[in-house]
Amino acid sequence: MDFKDYYKILGVPPDADSKAIKTAYRKLARKYHPDVNPDEGAEDKFKEVAEAYEVLKDAGRRAEYDELRQYGGASRSGGFEPPPGWQGSGGFSGAGGGHFEGDFSDFFNSIFGGAGPDPRRQRSGFRGQDAEIEMPIFLEETVEETSKLVEYLIPVIENGQMKEVKKSLRVKIPAGVQDGERIRLKGQGGAGHGEAANGDLYLHIRLVPHPLFDVEGHNLVVTVPLAPWEAALGAKITVPTLTGKIHLTVAANSQAGQRLRIKGKGLATKTGRGDLFALLKIVMPPSVNSEARALWESLSEKAGFDPRAQWGN
Amino acid sequence: MTELVLSISLRELCQYEELTEQLIVEVVEHGIARPLAGHNSGDWVFDTTSVHWLRKAVRLHADLEIDWVAVAMVIDLLQKNEALQRQNQHFEQQLKRFRDG
Repeated sequence: MDFKDYYKILGVPPDADSKAIKTAYRKLARKYHPDVNPDEGAEDKFKEVAEAYEVLKDAGRRAEYDELRQYGGASRSGGFEPPPGWQGSGGFSGAGGGHFEGDFSDFFNSIFGGAGPDPRRQRSGFRGQDAEIEMPIFLEETVEETSKLVEYLIPVIENGQMKEVKKSLRVKIPAGVQDGERIRLKGQGGAGHGEAANGDLYLHIRLVPHPLFDVEGHNLVVTVPLAPWEAALGAKITVPTLTGKIHLTVAANSQAGQRLRIKGKGLATKTGRGDLFALLKIVMPPSVNSEARALWESLSEKAGFDPRAQWGN
Repeated sequence: MTELVLSISLRELCQYEELTEQLIVEVVEHGIARPLAGHNSGDWVFDTTSVHWLRKAVRLHADLEIDWVAVAMVIDLLQKNEALQRQNQHFEQQLKRFRDG
């Protein structure tokens, strides 16, 4: 076990007053709090900072820690062991209500006797932990209720040891789920202790990006490539939908970026279906033969069209 | 079959998250979580996404030692940021579809 230099972690000198410690903690907490910093490693860094603050903000614990630090922990290279017969004040039961407290290092636990079970929770056991997992769903699966197999790990305490156990579960995902939505599965989180209930499992719905369709709320957008002459002359084309294909008439003189609405072919909602929009895009052929080139030339002479007329001269 | 729910009542929230009703009322008054239904706080029902933000709010309040007004601002900005990121992804995807053959 390594000795943790809490002063170094907070970036304050060992004789810093409580105000300086508080300021340093707040600054680092704002920077690394996992709720505001999604970077990998931020959570571990925050836990370290929170642990340091938990010790140094409390005069009693700080005095104990300083004593140990004097004993030589900080200068030893070969790992840290508390002095023989060391009895910390113990019985530490995190205060304040933050959600990362109690999740402290072995070093902390060896000095302060571990966070220990929260006395509030001892009466009739305590409720299991809630768990949240990401649930990727294909757009096709949102049209009707679908059954999905969910596999996840939940923490279980066995003989005082924290273990992760794999659970699998078949879940009916209702039609019309939306990206970002969370579905709560009662009692499928961590096991409760004693008579207390299990935690819940939350499924965080993530719609998998589709090779053809983009999602706009309950509507879908499909980008439809058109040849320049199809846009000019109009065309009857076949457009894919989530549940099959449909015929669509593109009017003559259609513009790129124009959207054609196909009613009721979007995503399912609680009350019906959204719409599908065909977004037109004009694509040039990659190469033209001499005959086609001659036709383009003749068109350019006869069309009398200046696309940059608005720019003036 | 697993019971699948999209909401959570005030009483369940208090019980599960070990929060007091008073604290949840405060969070709602600051607009951090909005009940889906219920006139009196005792009848409040929240959607499950509210719970996610409520938990975040409680953690930020405790861990950053900031008051509820600041927490509400942070949550509001986090939500806006999330929405903008999603919109940006959407536009990038559309642009790519327009550019690529």
